[in-house]
Parts: sequence; C-alpha cells; structure tokens
Amino acid sequence: MDESFANLQSSHLLGSVPAVISDDKRSTNVPIASVNEGPSASMQIFPPNLGNNTKGYQTLESPTVEGPAQQPSNNWKGFFNVYSYTQYFDVDTDVVLNRLMSSLYPTSGDFFNKIDANPDLYGLVWICTTLVFVLASLGNCATYLVKKRTDSNAPWIFDVNYMNLAASIIYGYAIIVPLGFYFALRYMGSKADLLRFWCLWGYSLFIFVPTSLPLLIPVEFLRWVIILLAGSASSCFVALNLRSYLETNNDITVVMAAAFGLQMVLSIFIKVWFFP
Amino acid sequence: MSQGDTVPLHPSSQSDIDEIENLINESVQSGPGTVLAARPPSPTRPSIPVSSSSSSSPFMQSNLPPLHPSSSAQKVTHVPVPPPLPAVSNSSNFQGASAFGSPPNTLTEPVWDTVKRDLSRIVSNLKLVVFPNPYREDPGKALRDWDLWGPFFFIVFLGLTLSWSASVKKSEVFAVAFALLAAGAVILTLNVLLLGGHIIFFQSLSLLGYCLFPLDVGAVICMLKDNVILKMVVVSVTLAWSSWAAYPFMSSAVNPRRKALALYPVFLMYVSVGFLIIAIN
Repeated sequence: MDESFANLQSSHLLGSVPAVISDDKRSTNVPIASVNEGPSASMQIFPPNLGNNTKGYQTLESPTVEGPAQQPSNNWKGFFNVYSYTQYFDVDTDVVLNRLMSSLYPTSGDFFNKIDANPDLYGLVWICTTLVFVLASLGNCATYLVKKRTDSNAPWIFDVNYMNLAASIIYGYAIIVPLGFYFALRYMGSKADLLRFWCLWGYSLFIFVPTSLPLLIPVEFLRWVIILLAGSASSCFVALNLRSYLETNNDITVVMAAAFGLQMVLSIFIKVWFFP
Repeated sequence: MSQGDTVPLHPSSQSDIDEIENLINESVQSGPGTVLAARPPSPTRPSIPVSSSSSSSPFMQSNLPPLHPSSSAQKVTHVPVPPPLPAVSNSSNFQGASAFGSPPNTLTEPVWDTVKRDLSRIVSNLKLVVFPNPYREDPGKALRDWDLWGPFFFIVFLGLTLSWSASVKKSEVFAVAFALLAAGAVILTLNVLLLGGHIIFFQSLSLLGYCLFPLDVGAVICMLKDNVILKMVVVSVTLAWSSWAAYPFMSSAVNPRRKALALYPVFLMYVSVGFLIIAIN
C-alpha cells in the first residue's frame, strides 16, 4: 500500500502523459499482484514440501517393510529355481523303501502318519515313470504271448504307441485325480494338503508294478483275478488312508467311495488296454 | 687395371691387336723418310685418340656382356636374401601367435583340422567315460573337457538305428527313442539336483550321452542279427556296460544315503532303451 502510494507520487512528479499514467497504474498493479503472489507462493511451497517429505518417506518405507515388492519377486524367482523344489525330494533311500512297503499293506491306514514329517514327490515321479515303462513293455509282451498261442506263424510287431498311451493315462491320472480331490475337499470346507494327496496317490500306484508280471500269463480268467485283487488293494489303500485323514468330517463316505471307484476304474482300464 | 681387364678376355684382346696392326699399316703407307721422322709424332697424336676412342668403344661393348651376367648374378644372390629374412620374421610371428593362444591358428586353419580336433576330443572323452581309467571316480578329471556333440551323435545314431530296424511305424519309433533319450537325460540330471546333489548340468548330460555308446553298439549288432536269444545276450551285456559306466559319476554326486534314489532312474532309462532294442524288429 505504501509502496504503491510512493510509486504514484513519483509518477505525478514526472508529469507524464495520461496514457503513460495509465501504463504506470498497470505497472503498479502488476508488482502488487507479484508481491501478493510471492509470499503466497512461498507460503504454499513449505507445506507441500513437508507433506511430500512425510508422504515420500512413508511410501518408501511401507512397501519395503510390508513386502509387496518382495513377495512377487520371491514367488517368481522360486518358480523357476530348481533348488526351490528340493524340499519335496528331501528323502533318503530307506525312507522311500519304507513307504513302498507300506503301500503294499492296504488295511493299515497309517500312511499319513508315516509321511507326516515330510511328504515327497520322488515316489510320485518315479513310480509313475516305472509304471509307464512296465505297462508299455509288458503290454507288448502280453500281446506277443497271446499271438504266439493263437497263431504262432503270424509275425508279431512291436507297438510303440503303447508308450504314449501309458504315459498319457498314468501321468494324467496321478496329477489330475489328487488335484480334483484337493479342490473338492477344499470346497467342502475340509482340510486338504495337495502335496500329501500327490504322495498318497503316487505310492498307491506302486502295487501295479509287481502285479504286471503275473498279468503276462496268457490266461484271461487269471488275468482278471489278478487285476481285481491289485485294484482292490490299491483302492482300499487310498480309501482307508483318506478316512484316517478326514476322520472329523461327516461326508467322508462319498469321498471314500469316489476314491475307491476311480482306483478300480484305473485298474480295469489297465487290464483292458494293456493286457487284453 | 686395363691390362687385367683385357687379359682374361681373349676376343677383345684380339680385336685390339687387329686395330693396332691396321693403324701401323696406315702410317707406313702415308709417311716418306724425312717426313716419317717428323710426321710420325703427328699421326701418332691423331692415332692415339682414335685408338683410344675405338678401344674405349669396344671396351664398353665388351664390358656390357660381362657386366650383365655379373649384375644378374648379384641380383640372383640378392633375390633369395629378402625371402629368408621375412620368412624368418614370419615364422617368429607365427611362433609368437601360437605361444600366446590358439584362436589365430584355429581361425586360419583348414576345416579338416577343426573336424579332426573335435573328433579326437570326442574319442578321448569316450575313452574316459566308457573304458576303465583311474579317473572314473572323479568327474572333474574324467570329463573335464565335456562337449555335447558326442551325446547328440549317440542319441541320433541310436534313434536312427532303431528306426531302421523297425518294419512299421519308423517315424514313431524314432520319435519315442529320441524323446526317451533326450528328455531322459534332462530329467535324470534334474533328479540329482532335486536330491540335493552337486552336479554340473551340462556335464551330466554329456556323461549320460557318452554312456549310450555300448547300447549303440548293441543296437547295431541286433539290427544285423535277427535272433531273439542273441539279441537278449547282447543287450544284457551292453546294458550292464552302460550302467557300469554311469555308476561312479552318479553315485559320487549325491549323499551316500540317497545313492540308490539317484541311480535307479539311470538304470530304468537304460533298461527302457534295452527293451526297445530287443522288441523292435
């Protein structure tokens, strides 16, 4: 205000033209606005800086502490790192042999107690691989024996497609069926551990490996007896262990029946496709 | 000096003698008695430059041919001198290059040398893996200079052999054999890693591939012979040989308590290959 008056007085002293006077007025207005804006800008600068500092500090700290950045990186790195899967193969030879022996006794029902410490995927992987090879090779041997018995002069040709079929059926069953039971039980509100289910179903298939040798006998009735016995043993193994695992649930009968049925279907499929 | 020059050259000396005789004859015919006493020095004076000029010209003419051969002789002696000097320097440069490293040599060497060196490396690796040697227990020494050409060759060779042996479905047989061997080696290596073993991934692939050599031999024999019993004997021997070759490497890679878990899949793969060799006919 005082400064503006001083400017006006100086303009009068100069005795300029009225147009110049109007320009002076405009010029006086501009510095007034600038003066008004200056302190306002300076006043506005400080709070935003403080706000920015505090917000920036918080935002910088919070993700690093809480770990939204770390968790995805860990998951991503772990997915493609071979060593992150070693925990699922942390077994020794005697442990695996013990579990294989347990899978041959279906009525005990204490398989989950034995694997409670550390369920493994070694059994699942290599029992399935062994079964694929055994079914493909002995299946061809079975067709060879049948052909020799019926028509010994006909030339026998090795069917390499047995390998593809066996791999598709066994790996598909061993991966999808436990996964299906896992999601079904989670949907029903019961406890379920996918790793333990894979371990259970993997070892349940072991009984079919030694059973394939007797299935080579080219007697149809005997083959059916052998496969039904093996299938029943394997199905009982799965069903009874599921019962002991889900003892606190009321809908256990349906789950047991489904597991038993699927295992029997698999055994009959093995008989019909590989040992006709 | 001049006499020395003329003496060894007989034709030039003869020509000089002829010219001198001609000059003497001319002076005798032209000169009387008294005049002869007074005039001989004057004809001798004009005769001297004439003889000198004539002699100088034949001297130069005679000198040219001998100079040429002498100069050519010198050139001949000079020409071989530069080649040995740069040759020596070149050889020293090459020796220096070879002393520093082989890249320059391998860059400029013929293709046959490259192929020969690679083949010799494959053969030496094969001997280390499949045949008895004191370094079998130490993977680092047994297969230090590992490669993937040998395994690739043995896998493709076995696939082709089985495919040729098959009477029907040749392409499917090749596909199954190749997939079994290639994926099998990868899965076996991953199995060792997952069991907590310490192994170099590609070194393991290389070793498992070299261990197929006995089965390759067995496959060739079974392709030539069609007797089932002979096939079973041959495949049993080669299967045992391959398993024996793979045993020390795999067993030393994992914890002793898990040795069987690591060795069983290897044995299973070789049994599968052996069965394919016997069955495909």
